[in-house]
Amino acid sequence: MTKEYIRLDHISKKFGETTALRDLNAVLHKGEILGFLGPSGAGKTTTIKILTGQLKPTSGDAYVLGIHVGKIDESIYEQIGIVTDNSGVYERLTVHDNLRFFARILNVPTERIEELLKRVGLYEHRKKPAGKLSKGQAQRLVLARAVLHRPRLLFLDEPTSGLDPSTALDIHRLLEELRESGMAIFLTTHNMEEATKLCNHVALLNAGQIVEYGTPEELCLRYNQDKQYRLLLSDGSRLLLGQGEEDVERLSSLLRKNQVNSLHSCEPNLESVFLTVTGRALG
Amino acid sequence: MQTEGAGVWQQAGIKTVHWNKLFVILSMKWRTQFSKNFITMPLFSVGLTFVMTLFYGSMAESNGNALDDSVRGMALSLGALMNTTMTGILCTGMALAEEKEKHTLRALMTSSVNGLEFFLGSTLPVAAMILAVNILAVPAAGLRPSAGGWAMWLGVSALCAMASTVMGMIFGICCKSQVSASTVISVPVMVLVMIPVFGEFSGFMEKASRFLFTGVLSSAAAALAEDTPRVDGFGIGVIGAEIALAALVFILLYRKNGYERE
Repeated sequence: MTKEYIRLDHISKKFGETTALRDLNAVLHKGEILGFLGPSGAGKTTTIKILTGQLKPTSGDAYVLGIHVGKIDESIYEQIGIVTDNSGVYERLTVHDNLRFFARILNVPTERIEELLKRVGLYEHRKKPAGKLSKGQAQRLVLARAVLHRPRLLFLDEPTSGLDPSTALDIHRLLEELRESGMAIFLTTHNMEEATKLCNHVALLNAGQIVEYGTPEELCLRYNQDKQYRLLLSDGSRLLLGQGEEDVERLSSLLRKNQVNSLHSCEPNLESVFLTVTGRALG
Repeated sequence: MQTEGAGVWQQAGIKTVHWNKLFVILSMKWRTQFSKNFITMPLFSVGLTFVMTLFYGSMAESNGNALDDSVRGMALSLGALMNTTMTGILCTGMALAEEKEKHTLRALMTSSVNGLEFFLGSTLPVAAMILAVNILAVPAAGLRPSAGGWAMWLGVSALCAMASTVMGMIFGICCKSQVSASTVISVPVMVLVMIPVFGEFSGFMEKASRFLFTGVLSSAAAALAEDTPRVDGFGIGVIGAEIALAALVFILLYRKNGYERE
């Protein structure tokens, strides 16, 4: 069985005269997280909709779990899970009944519901109507629903958008666990810290086009042109040193004298890379 | 071999029914029927039949007459018309609009449920509710029909339930929220109810009502009250044609955008 779970081959999408996606190419393997990083309107959600059969591409080919997107039908949803920023819950049903409803559709045993509710921290809220959950709790319920049937592939569209840092951290931990279990995750975000932390590969998307593609580390190093080091010295002073001969001498001298409290390399983060490549910020 | 009709459903993205999934949707939608947003219409319809029967009875009594069965038929007709249109069109349309407004439709349709399963799961519980209420409305009007009368009444009610629920799905497809659905649907509901009601007083309305499924239902209520059950071929043809037309419009809309426009 192929380990290539997603393949995008020259995918383009036009809405009338407006080009939403332009010649996208990317691959996602089993047990990896691929991040599509870009500002609002860059084409992230459109890509997910194409990959999940909700939209047809104008040109190009895309494959999900080895099946061409033009040939997928509703049975594909038994193997994939989807979380979007507007995934809804049945507000009149309790938290438990929301999961039970989808578990019955997907032939999932009831024990899995208890297990997941405990994992996402909603077990004590299981009898509460879903309409009374906070935004963070509702998002955890949506995520629990998406992984209820242990999908091979998970699509996450801005899963932590608008959530408090603690809930976002919980979700990050869950995603790391899912990746470890072999699930492939297609993640869209405009949060560069999230992408750096979670993604094996990232595609920087701007105006419907992938402007950079690689591991977060590769991208940051690729744009690390003025190599610099930020030092905090034992007397409390701060110092910025470059790669020049004089600076290297000074750095080694400080290190020899044990006068360095902390030392950081100053390679750019994904946000700076995005800004350098596109001339616009991510937010 | 695939029939042409099946081909149309296939092209519309509507496929095989998985009975377990259909049953799950049916159970959930049946529960929804009893939520406060939706149970009002059926209760109101039975209540209206009962109250109108009492009202007509007190009017007849004040004139020194007993309540005529044909007048009971008018009360039944009013209740059944309200039930079939309000429950069938309004509740079905609002339920679909609610799924879109609360973003649960997309969650459901990306959980391996297909269009036909959702369609049947959404319409059958409403049709069952319409039928149950039309049955309850008969004793509420104080009528005791013969077996033939019941058979005719159930048959016509079932066909009208089909027509109204398919129409409800059409409005549901076109509306994005419950508020817009209730606003848009109230106009055709008023037309479908009022034409047969005013048919009692106007020759033109009476003729027009013969071409509406609600008019056929109203005539069936009168025939039931007078215990003169009959198979009205023209009336059944009218309902059949309206079901077919509604189904065609629904399929065209569904093929264009699915249940939800992007």
